[in-house]
Amino acid sequence: MSTFQKGTVPTQPYKEPTPLPDHVPKVEELGTTSAPLKSAAFFIGAYCKEYNEDFMLCKAENRDPGHCLKEGRRVTRCATDLINKMRENCLEQFDAHWNCLELNNQEYYRCRKPERTLNKCMFEKLGLTKVIPGTPAGQKPVHEIDSPIFKPIQK
Amino acid sequence: MSIPYRQDMPPPGGFEAVKYKRNLPFRGPGALAILGGITAICTYGFYRLGKGNLEKRELHREKVWSRIHLVPLLMAEGDRDAYRRQQAALAREKEIMKDVKGWVPGSSVYNNPKYHTPEIVIL
Repeated sequence: MSTFQKGTVPTQPYKEPTPLPDHVPKVEELGTTSAPLKSAAFFIGAYCKEYNEDFMLCKAENRDPGHCLKEGRRVTRCATDLINKMRENCLEQFDAHWNCLELNNQEYYRCRKPERTLNKCMFEKLGLTKVIPGTPAGQKPVHEIDSPIFKPIQK
Repeated sequence: MSIPYRQDMPPPGGFEAVKYKRNLPFRGPGALAILGGITAICTYGFYRLGKGNLEKRELHREKVWSRIHLVPLLMAEGDRDAYRRQQAALAREKEIMKDVKGWVPGSSVYNNPKYHTPEIVIL
């Protein structure tokens, strides 16, 4: 038995074209690439803590993708809000940091200098601080060490 | 021809001293100094290594938490897409199986209301 097959293989993977059902409110996706997300990660964690935790608790309740759409929209809206605020207030520092991450394999320890200016700006303008949970008590958080052992080799 | 008598004498200022002492060049620091020096260097190196391991642990924690903070955001986006595709697949199934009596579109083969990820994924 032979089946009909097209003579060409599609270069793009098949993508379901059906849009989201109408009863689900639309939310614009964040659309930010990995480096800016990594740069903003701790601020997203600080700024959207309640929405994120709400969403994760909802997901713990039920893993069905349809179960937490409402909470998910809130999470996305909050993150979009934060990215917009960052761009309004600290665009220069934000750009410098995520471009540095982009060029340095997205390693935080190689971009401490732009990170510090960004953290400073974020604290002054938006009052958000980078806190790494689980840092041993009485120890300087790793992003604030003055002379770290791991640092970029090329200055 | 007569040569006047002349007593043979040491050179003026006398003979130089006889070199009877062994002339060995300086062979570098002693064994104990080398052993101590290497021990000191190794101790410092291991100290730095330990410090570096502690710092690496913290760097890893930083990286993990940066990802944890992004999980809800990425999962929410993925869920919306998964839901959209799920609904499309359901509509397709409904359309295909509309003539079959007693067919419940989207029903699980397991008698369990708990969600499980689909085994067959149509993108």
